[in-house]
Amino acid sequence: MKALSVTGRCLASPPPADWREQLTQLLGAKPRRIGNWAELGLYGAMLCLADAGEKTLPLDATLMLTSRRGTYAATGAALAQMGDGLPMPLTFLQTQPSQLLALLSAQMDWMGHACFLATAQPQDLLRLANAQMGQDGVLLGCVDEMDGGSSNWLRLRPDAPEKHDFSASFLAWMPPASVAHGV
Amino acid sequence: MKPVYLVGSGLACALGLTVKTSLTALSQGRDAAATRVLPGESTTCFPYRAMADVSGDWNERARTFIRRVALEARAEKARDGALFLATSSFDIGAMEQGAAVVDYQAFADQVANCLQWRGPVYVLSTACTSSLNAMMAAHALLRSDEVEDALVLGVELSNQLTLGGFAALQLLSPGRCKPFGRDRDGLVLGESIAALRFSTREASFWCMLGGANVVDGRQPTSASVPAVVSMYQKALANCGLTADAIDLIKVQAAGSPGNDAIEAQGLRDSFEVVPPLVSLKTAIGHTMGASGAAEVALLIACLEQGVWPTYADVVDATLGVHLATQAPASVRRFMASILGFGGGHATVVLERA
Repeated sequence: MKALSVTGRCLASPPPADWREQLTQLLGAKPRRIGNWAELGLYGAMLCLADAGEKTLPLDATLMLTSRRGTYAATGAALAQMGDGLPMPLTFLQTQPSQLLALLSAQMDWMGHACFLATAQPQDLLRLANAQMGQDGVLLGCVDEMDGGSSNWLRLRPDAPEKHDFSASFLAWMPPASVAHGV
Repeated sequence: MKPVYLVGSGLACALGLTVKTSLTALSQGRDAAATRVLPGESTTCFPYRAMADVSGDWNERARTFIRRVALEARAEKARDGALFLATSSFDIGAMEQGAAVVDYQAFADQVANCLQWRGPVYVLSTACTSSLNAMMAAHALLRSDEVEDALVLGVELSNQLTLGGFAALQLLSPGRCKPFGRDRDGLVLGESIAALRFSTREASFWCMLGGANVVDGRQPTSASVPAVVSMYQKALANCGLTADAIDLIKVQAAGSPGNDAIEAQGLRDSFEVVPPLVSLKTAIGHTMGASGAAEVALLIACLEQGVWPTYADVVDATLGVHLATQAPASVRRFMASILGFGGGHATVVLERA
């Protein structure tokens, strides 16, 4: 595996009480109709990029997102709506974890390789990120709504000066509960 | 770097419950259309490409089909490698029956236990491009020597939420899927489970060279021309190829009025001479997260056995592209593309070894 440096991070587990207000400031407007999980993801990703001194990702960077239960709240809402007929279109879209990838792409005005994955072991994700990343590294996110919420992001780059300690950052990035189900 | 071989495939879809029976049904032009009634309604129904039924609830049905396609792909030879579960709907059908909750690792554990898997398991979801992205992830992991074997398992089974969601978005055709058709009026959904087994230690007739995935979030529910062009350019560059090296492209062409036109323009902008095109959506429906793996499995069988899909509908001449009415004389390399929700645009490149 390539040696990676943490050039930016956001470890918000849980996020501060005013995270929604902060997100509105970061985006310049209140996000609309994207759902709580996606808002939480945008919040952490924007802070992580700012910490890395970046406004967007380079074209050769990749975006990887993981979660334990991702869109469970939106999925529950969509299933409840079906008791009366069809789900609302936007609620249905919010059930797809990949919608957050699209939102981040649009927010960063960036087109590139982005993927949602879940694994039992965070190291497996790192291994895959390492195998798929280009020279501009990866933005790695772990977002969940449960237990007060968490939005943890790392900006990892090969051959770059380290801003944060890698081992400590990676350990904090994916909370221990995420590895509860060993295969 | 070691070549990545596609060494086994398995398929259960509306055409049949194996690659062979699916191919036979395709060659005989069998129409496997079923219908599904919309959630909450008693009369409104849409065509749906359903698999032959087996008894049991959603979980039991999933286990049965997963074991079948895994056996066909000889997945037991890869159990120490990486397993990539590719899906857009996860086990939502079980949730509808009160037999599951949204928990990706619990879903992964269920499938892993069913296959007696020993290696790492990844659940990958990028909507309709899921299994092509799983193929690219498997390819990258194999090329990096992290594993010697990998199994991509596309899983998309019938459920009410997906049908209801697509209906709510007004994306479904009330009739037939008409890829690049003049009278195209929407998608026909379907279900499938497909397995593709890759290896760097076992050789076969087909190699995966690579691919590209481009997310363009400016249009989160549809494709974009710049992203289609970027996808083809990146895939060719990643594989060290030029456009004239491609002999065939399996397109998305799901029959969407808007997306088919965007895809056609993207093809024209990417290729000076657009290679022969093929679509399998009419035969098996749009099987979303499983579609990439299912269509690659079926296409390779078509190429090896000289079977070709037929299209009943008139192509839209304004699109400037057409579907090949017979198999190209010789196909050394093909691309397989899927465009989907979440601004996803993905393509993979396979080559005869």
